[in-house]
Amino acid sequence: MKAIRSMVLVSGDQDSLDHGAMDVFTTLQQQLSEFGLEEEISVSMVSDVSKPGLDPMVLVYPDAVIYGPVKPEDVHNIVEEHLYKGRVVATKQVSPYDLTGRVAWLSARKGTLPAENRIVLKNVGLIDPESIDDYIINEGYEALGQVLKEMTPEETIAEIKASGLRGRGGAGFPTGLKWQFVSGAKGEKKYVICNADESEPGTFKDRLVLEGDPHAIIEAMMIAAYAVGANEGYVYIRGEYGLAISRMKKAIEQAKAYGLLGEDIFGTGFDFELHIHAGAGAYICGEETALIESIEGNRGEPRPRPPYPTNAGLWQKPTLVNNVETLANIPAIIRNGAAWYKAIGTPSSPGTKVYTILGNVNVTGLIEVPMGITLREVIAIYSKGMKNGATFKLAQTGGSSGSIIPASLQDTPMDFDSFSKAGVSLGSGALLICNEDVCVVDLAKVLLNFFQSESCGKCNPCRIGNKRSFETLSNISEGVGTLQDLEDLQMLSDQLYQLSNCGLGQTAGSPLRDILAHFRAEVEAHIKLKVCPAGVCPMSGQRAYQID
Amino acid sequence: MIKLTIDGKPVEVQDGTTVLEAAEAADVFVPTLCHHPQLTPYGGCRLCMVEVEGARTLQPSCTLPATDGMVVTTTSEKVLKARKFVLTLIFSERNHFCMYCQVSGGDCELQNRAYDEGMTHWDLQPNWQPYEVDASHPFMVLDNNRCILCRRCVRACGELVGNDTLGFEERGANSFLVADYDVPLGESTCISCGTCVQICPTGALIDRQSAYQGKETDVEHHVGVCTECSVGCTRDVLTRDNRLVRIEGEWAAPLNQGLLCEYGRFLPLEDERARLLTPLVRKDGSLKAATWDEAIEAAAEGLGKGRGLAALASTRLPAEDLAVFKSLFADKLDAEIVTSLEEGAATASLAALAEKLGKPFESSLDVLKDTDAVLSLELDLVDEHQVAGFFVKRQIQDGTKLFVAGEKDNALAEKAKALLTLKPGEEAAFLEMLLIALENGAEDVALTKAIEALKSAEKPVIVYGETFAANADEKTLETLLKVADKLDAALVGVKGQANSMAAAQLGLEAPFKANGYKSAVVALGDEAPSQRLVKALEEVPFVVAMAAYGSQITGNANVVLPVTMWAEQSGSYLSLDGRLQTAEKALDAPDGVLTSLETLLKVAEAMSVEPNQDWKTSLMDRVPTVEIQEA
Amino acid sequence: MSKPKVATDWLCGCAGCHMSLLDIDERILQVVELVDLRATPITDLKEPDKDGVTVGILEGGINNTYNEEVAKRMRERCKILVALGDCAVFGGVPAMRNFCGVDAALKRAYIDTESTDSEGIIPSDPELATMTRVRAVHEVVPVDLHIPGCPPDADVIFYALAELAQGRIPDIKGEKLHWH
Repeated sequence: MKAIRSMVLVSGDQDSLDHGAMDVFTTLQQQLSEFGLEEEISVSMVSDVSKPGLDPMVLVYPDAVIYGPVKPEDVHNIVEEHLYKGRVVATKQVSPYDLTGRVAWLSARKGTLPAENRIVLKNVGLIDPESIDDYIINEGYEALGQVLKEMTPEETIAEIKASGLRGRGGAGFPTGLKWQFVSGAKGEKKYVICNADESEPGTFKDRLVLEGDPHAIIEAMMIAAYAVGANEGYVYIRGEYGLAISRMKKAIEQAKAYGLLGEDIFGTGFDFELHIHAGAGAYICGEETALIESIEGNRGEPRPRPPYPTNAGLWQKPTLVNNVETLANIPAIIRNGAAWYKAIGTPSSPGTKVYTILGNVNVTGLIEVPMGITLREVIAIYSKGMKNGATFKLAQTGGSSGSIIPASLQDTPMDFDSFSKAGVSLGSGALLICNEDVCVVDLAKVLLNFFQSESCGKCNPCRIGNKRSFETLSNISEGVGTLQDLEDLQMLSDQLYQLSNCGLGQTAGSPLRDILAHFRAEVEAHIKLKVCPAGVCPMSGQRAYQID
Repeated sequence: MIKLTIDGKPVEVQDGTTVLEAAEAADVFVPTLCHHPQLTPYGGCRLCMVEVEGARTLQPSCTLPATDGMVVTTTSEKVLKARKFVLTLIFSERNHFCMYCQVSGGDCELQNRAYDEGMTHWDLQPNWQPYEVDASHPFMVLDNNRCILCRRCVRACGELVGNDTLGFEERGANSFLVADYDVPLGESTCISCGTCVQICPTGALIDRQSAYQGKETDVEHHVGVCTECSVGCTRDVLTRDNRLVRIEGEWAAPLNQGLLCEYGRFLPLEDERARLLTPLVRKDGSLKAATWDEAIEAAAEGLGKGRGLAALASTRLPAEDLAVFKSLFADKLDAEIVTSLEEGAATASLAALAEKLGKPFESSLDVLKDTDAVLSLELDLVDEHQVAGFFVKRQIQDGTKLFVAGEKDNALAEKAKALLTLKPGEEAAFLEMLLIALENGAEDVALTKAIEALKSAEKPVIVYGETFAANADEKTLETLLKVADKLDAALVGVKGQANSMAAAQLGLEAPFKANGYKSAVVALGDEAPSQRLVKALEEVPFVVAMAAYGSQITGNANVVLPVTMWAEQSGSYLSLDGRLQTAEKALDAPDGVLTSLETLLKVAEAMSVEPNQDWKTSLMDRVPTVEIQEA
Repeated sequence: MSKPKVATDWLCGCAGCHMSLLDIDERILQVVELVDLRATPITDLKEPDKDGVTVGILEGGINNTYNEEVAKRMRERCKILVALGDCAVFGGVPAMRNFCGVDAALKRAYIDTESTDSEGIIPSDPELATMTRVRAVHEVVPVDLHIPGCPPDADVIFYALAELAQGRIPDIKGEKLHWH
């Protein structure tokens, strides 16, 4: 593949075509050759990136500048000013906020793209997610062919194990080992499930993969199925992800039509059937055993463990459950080899990590970077610093398994082991970056409010403990907390970890633990001085949760 | 075998044993709340947490499988602290005010566990949000204020009864026990079996009949047999001061394992019929109170012997009574007809077949608990013999396929994969068709479905009821045997009342028709007579009625002898599948009331005959349809 | 060594726990030998000594601002505070009113009651204490020992007093522990 300097995409959906996209496309080709740029700048058409009123659109990478609506007569100016001279044509530029969820995350990221290392997001935003041909052109289904034709299931598992890939759902369990467990479990019938019930607060990395590159998930699931001996799979997609569901449906239909899904794939005798199961709005169904219960048609409540899903999962059959981001790494590992993958990131946490950056920084959005970079780097390089030059106070890493990372840990490499050593966790990959206007009591309260309403209600510690924690935090934020409350919060956090049935309850108390460990003085100020240092808490002196 | 150590005690258990069960085996007490031996382990309450060497966190012993070499501690400070924490949370969640609760003082598992842990107070106070009490149900009250959300009731309703009325709405702290889609319990699909009340560890589900009337410490237990149908459920009758307080299922009972139905649990306490307390003799056209001696004398005189004497006995009577009844009237007094009030409808043709075969051909009800395909012939197990119905219903969610052959208004059919039409009188044709279809296939979609499911099943069962047995002739039954043989299916014959099978064994199965009888004795016990019987006896000039309750029959009788009802007598019952069980007497009979057996012996004495009292031998005299086993 | 001083008081309760205390019968003589019984509702002295007592015992829950004062005063003046009986420990029967709230309870008691004429009025003299939610004593002041029971058995009370008199914290468990 020859090196190019820039890539230009023209929106090619029906609306864009109706508004002259084809003319824009041909004009672009013609203008590029006039300026002698055809060798260093590629131009292609993609669909479904436009928006009514703005189509046709022209997207310029890696600058991540979007123009729209573009008429053929605008093209000359864009090519000359932007592509030739390097000056963005501001008059035609589209505000990123008009394009939420699709390419908007890229628009403010001018210049940062080259530093990213895209494996999971390789195709996202660059190919037409509704075109299997686009996927195939971009090395799609190559890994599957390679696995089915050239590798045994054992070799496939060995390759994934050698890559050192660890689950990106939050726990960081070695993926190859999980595959091996399912492969070794007794039973004729086995299942593969893609956990796409992404519901952690502030996290939307899986959604963009599902929406932008659905075939990668299908391919990865088939590789996994072949490796573990399964011939049926489910993609459990969060119910609110309407576009992801429809894209995945379409992708499955296309794969079936191409004979890539179904019976006797590539004439190898390998069969695979794939279903989509849409969630119904329960956060807890992202927990793998609750997810399995949900597919079975039951109330989404986590099961006791053991037995683990690897031995007795869906319909009590051995089941492999992998997260979207985990799976999205698989085809690349197969194509490029375990050694290539292992060289990225850190030795104990190879590969990249996709983060969703939110909060008080200049640039928010999605990045994919090698494991092991630091929070300081993320803020300084990818987020272009704190908004208004504010001081960084803390970051929350997303979801129930996330942590509150104080500024003192901003130079700790972000990988599973370094974080674990520091007593914090990567969580779901969200990075909610907060300045000093954020109150830790308030932040913990928001998180605990989420957990108390999202607990499934099965086990007492989680169902009642989260509610009690939330009430206690509320009292502190109302200025009626006592020092006893701090002991209660510590106990709730410890006991939730010890006693809860699943990951939600076990880690729901971690915000309590984190604020007491790192921000105790600030919490105590609420109690002793009746003051919220960040000026966020109401401190009204009225108990929020008692009837007097 | 697995070897592990619990609190330093070595213990050896079977593979598949949980740590909790292993602890029981080691005689180590681990407190539980959501756990119940009849239910699948749930792991919700987290009270049974134990410390396992090498485990990251405390582990729930109720769901954790014991593994070889495991080292378990149940009394470490960490464990004790966790228990107290869990109990504290539970007490704080709803409104557990023991002083206003009917189960306080020994009957509440939550309170008992708190006492065990030495809790003198609650660190967290309740939330004071009151929940409405649902008292819409005739037999039970649901008080969500006392609910600990352990789901024992929900799991019992689904796993044990297969009714799935109770469930949880919402999630997290808003989780709430509801009936169906949150309707009042009294308007729900509840079938009033009461299992939820019996399994509730707190006062959240209580029964109205006994509420605040008898704590465990105040009552006496009498283990007996339910006399409401021939399933023969073991039940526990609770009395206080010679009064019925409550009836519960016996969790340890091998067949019903704690389950009862509305008829066995609640309705016996609702009996409002007028009790007969003194013998009555008709004088000058009206019934007058008499002494036992006068009444027995009048009965003996009026009944006579031989032709013209008819003797009818209720199949609700104990086997002892039925055997003496048979011996007295058939053998000693040569009555023209001696039969049961069921007249053998549910049993006669089956008993004849067993005699012809020379061996039993039916199976125990246990086969219904573990079957993958059931064919039900002219029987509605939702409506009658309900506990046997529970066995079938609860397996349907696990994939057991049910096919119902009968008429349309069959509630069991709602759960069926297909309904096959079978009209009374067409049994022979139906079975012939089934047999042919088994060999050659069928065109009818429903039938094909049924045939295929039954053929591919590993443990198919064919179950039939009274209508089928009454209409089936010998040939029909032989076809049934052929069908069962082809399918390798077990056969279960659902019979009539409690001692239907005993009556069959004693040959009390002749049809009773008005035939110019001169006198009749009818041993009703506590049975409510049918209109047909009332009519038939109106033709008979002299009637002796032995009955616990007043009825048209006693009103028309010439002599009325007051006898005991079910709770006032001990006795044996032979269930539809041949289990011979004994019921304890639970109540003392009112003064002047005798058991039916005592009454029969008095009559015999007055007529100077001695009936054979060796009832067990009489019962075994005939080849039974199903093997008889003494419980 | 002087005898430990004991003071008691009752708050929102029914006096039943004090009756149960009297049910220790002649054993009260043993108690008096061991302790110096100071202010109690059944003795002449009505307030715990200003210079403090060893053991303070409170019966009843806390249902108004006056009870709060009494509880706080007792807490200040005693070394070991005992919550005696279900009302002091849990809120007890009076706490049932928490389900409807103070206003509804007052309306029911002073206006809606069948024996009240149409003129029924809720007392509102400013001298009266303000009513609050009924609380267990430990919700208002720290409690050192809880003796639940409605009422606690005389034997339990005697055991507890005897232990406290001898400088030990009684262990309320097993047969001694019940909440009703």
